[in-house]
Amino acid sequence: MKGVSHNGKALLVGVGLYIVILGPIIPVIIQSFAFQWHWPDLLPRVWWWSVRADSTFPLAWDYVLSPYSHVFEAAGNTLFISLSVTLLALILCLPAARVLVSPHFKWKTQILSLFTLPLIVPEMALALAFLAVFIPLGLAGTYTGIIVAHLIPVLPYMMRVLVSVYQGLNPAVVEQAQLLGASRWQRLVHITIPLLLPGILAGCLFTLLVSSNIFLITFLVGQGRVETLPTLLFSKIGGGALDATAAGLTLIAMIPGFILLLATERHIRDYQRVGAVGRSIDGSHR
Amino acid sequence: MNLLRNALVLTGLLSGSLIAATPTDQIAFRTAFLDGQLPWESVSTAARSEGAIDFYYWGGDDRLNVWLERTVAPDLEKLGVTLRPHRITATSDVVDLVLTEARAGKGLGQGSVDAIWVNGENFYTLAQQDLLFGSFAQKLPNATWFDWDENSAGGSLNLYDFGYPTQGREMPWSGEQYVCAVNRSLMAEAETPHTFAELERWLEANPGTFTYVKPPHYLGNTFVQEALYEMSPEGAQGFQQPLDSFTPESLARLLAPGMAYLKRIAPLLAQARNGIPRYPENESALMQLFQNSQTAMECQFGLYHVATKRASGQMPDNTEEIIFPRHNMIKNKNYLVIPSNAPHPAAALVFTNYMSSVAAQKSKLAAVGYPLGLDLWMLSAADQAAMVEAMPPHFGVTQAALDSHIAPDTHASLVRVIESLWQSVVLQGSETPIATLVEQAMSQSK
Repeated sequence: MKGVSHNGKALLVGVGLYIVILGPIIPVIIQSFAFQWHWPDLLPRVWWWSVRADSTFPLAWDYVLSPYSHVFEAAGNTLFISLSVTLLALILCLPAARVLVSPHFKWKTQILSLFTLPLIVPEMALALAFLAVFIPLGLAGTYTGIIVAHLIPVLPYMMRVLVSVYQGLNPAVVEQAQLLGASRWQRLVHITIPLLLPGILAGCLFTLLVSSNIFLITFLVGQGRVETLPTLLFSKIGGGALDATAAGLTLIAMIPGFILLLATERHIRDYQRVGAVGRSIDGSHR
Repeated sequence: MNLLRNALVLTGLLSGSLIAATPTDQIAFRTAFLDGQLPWESVSTAARSEGAIDFYYWGGDDRLNVWLERTVAPDLEKLGVTLRPHRITATSDVVDLVLTEARAGKGLGQGSVDAIWVNGENFYTLAQQDLLFGSFAQKLPNATWFDWDENSAGGSLNLYDFGYPTQGREMPWSGEQYVCAVNRSLMAEAETPHTFAELERWLEANPGTFTYVKPPHYLGNTFVQEALYEMSPEGAQGFQQPLDSFTPESLARLLAPGMAYLKRIAPLLAQARNGIPRYPENESALMQLFQNSQTAMECQFGLYHVATKRASGQMPDNTEEIIFPRHNMIKNKNYLVIPSNAPHPAAALVFTNYMSSVAAQKSKLAAVGYPLGLDLWMLSAADQAAMVEAMPPHFGVTQAALDSHIAPDTHASLVRVIESLWQSVVLQGSETPIATLVEQAMSQSK
C-alpha cells in the first residue's frame, strides 16, 4: 500500500517534470504554424497554411525550410564545430584528468578551481581578446579560430566530469585484472575504457551542448562570416518578437541537442549501473 | 566597457607581431575616388576584380533577408560582384569587429566588413574612432536622386544623422518617420489630437487610453523628444546643438516645460495605479495594449507600419494614422556605411550605388515595405509616379500630409541627458529643481 502511494507520488512528480520541461515547447510549436495569434485567443485565429498561397514571400515553415533561412548551413557548421571542439577537449582532458586524480599530485583542488576561471570571465571580454589575438595570427574568420576559442569555455566542463570519472574508477578493479594476468593493453581496452566510457560520453554531451550554444565568441572570432544556429537565432529573435519563422528556427535548433540526449541517455544509464558494480566490488574488497 | 575594450585591444596589439601595412594601391584608389579623379568605369572594373562584398545588417526581418538574396544578389552578380550577406543581431557587434580589426593594424583592403546598415550612435562611434572610408556618398552616380541641400528639410536628413554631420561618409538607404495610429472605434475623427495639449485634454476626458514605450527605448525617447519640441519655445531647432554648447541653466530652460508636461500626463496613462503608470517596455508590449483595445492610440517608427500590421492582422481593421504632433513628427534616415578597412572598397562602392538606384529603391519599397532612402522630388515625373504606385497605402492621412509635418531627430549628444531627466522627473517624480538635475546629468555624460 505504502509502495503504491510512493509510486503514485513518483508518477505525479514525473508528469509534473514533463509539463515543466516540455510545456514551454508546445506554444512554440503552435506559433511556428501560426499567421495571426493574439491574446486572448487560445489558438491562432489564422493558420499559416490558409494564407501561404497568397503571400508574395515565403511565410513560416516555407521560409524556415527555404535556402533563404540559411538554417541547414548553420546546422552543419554548428555540428562540425561542436564535434571538433568536443574531440579536442577530450584529447586534452583525458591525460590531464588522469594526472590530477593521482594521489601523489599536490595542488589538485587549486588547479581544478583554476580550470573554472574561464567561466567567470564575461564572454564579451573573452571574445574581443580572442579576436585581437587571432587577427595577426590569421585565425580570425576561420573555423580553426572558432574551434580553438570554443575550447576555453568548454574545457572546465570536460575537466570536471573526467576528474570525477577517474575518481570513481576503482583502482582495485584494474589491480584484479593485473593479478589475473591481463596485459597493460588488455587492462586499458577491457577494463579502464569500458568503465570510463559512460563518463566520457556524459562529458562529451556537456561540451557538445555548451559549444553549440556559444554566440558572442562565434560571432566575433568568426567575424560574422561563419553562421551557426545560435548566431542565426540571435539575429532573428534579437528584436524581441517570436513570430512563426523564429519559432520554426528555434525548433530546428533544438533537434541536435535532442538527438544527442536520446543517443547518450542509454549510456548514462549504463554509467550508473557500472558505477554500482564498481562500488560493490569495492565493498567486497574491503 | 570602453576601458575594458581598449585594454583588450591593446593586449591583442602587443601579442600580434604581424601588423601589415595598408597596401598603397588601395590608398591611391581611395584618394583618387574621393577626389573625384576616378571615372565610375574604373570603379566598376576594380569591383569586378575584387569580386565580392561582405554586407553586415540586422537579420531579423524575413522579407529583407529574402529580398537581398532573391533580388539584390542576382543583380550584383550581373555587375561581377558576389553579395555575401551577414545577418547580425546588434549593429554594435560589427562596430566592435571593425574597431578591433583596425586596432590590430588591418587597414583598407584587409578588414572583413565592406558595408554596414547603420544610423545614429553606431555611425557616431565609427566616425569618432576614425573608422570611415570617407566622403563617398555624393560621388556615387546615383547621388543625383538625393537632395544634398543642407538648408532644406529633406536635404538635412541626408547630411545629419541624429544631428551629427554625415559629411557624405554614409549613404541614405531607407527613411523612417514616427507615426501615431488610433483605433477609430475608440476615438472618433473629431476627437483626434494633433498637438500634445490636445492629447492632454483627451486624456483628461478618457484616462488610461494611451501610453508610450518606456525610455530609454528609442521608441519612448522619440515620443519624449517630440513632446519637448512642442513645449519648448524654440521648437525642434533648439535641440539641434551639441551638449557642450549649453549651460545647465540654458538646457534646463529648454527641457523644463516638456518634462513638466510628461509628469502631468503620467497619472492619466494606461496601466496607472496610484498615479504611477507601468510603461510598456518595447514595441510588442505597446502593440499588445493596442491590439486588445486597452489603448486607443499608439506611436512608433514606421511610415507604413499601419498598412503592414493591418494586412497581417496585428492591428484592428479600423486603425488609422493621424498627424501628431503637428510639425513635430520626427523623421530620420538610416544609411549604408563603408568602414575604413573594407576588404573590397570598390565593390562596396558599387554595392551602395546599386542600393541607391531608382530600381533597387523601388523594389525594396514594394518587396520589403521599407520607406525610400532617396528623395522623391529629385526623380523624374514618371519615376515619381512609379514610386507612388509601389508605396504601401496610408489610412486616414495622405503621404503629402505626413511629409509636411516632419521634424529632425534630437542631437545625439543630448539624448543621454534627456533620458536621465525623464527617469528622475517623470518616472521617479523627483521634486529637485530641474536645473540641478540637468547639471548632474551633464556632468555624468561628460
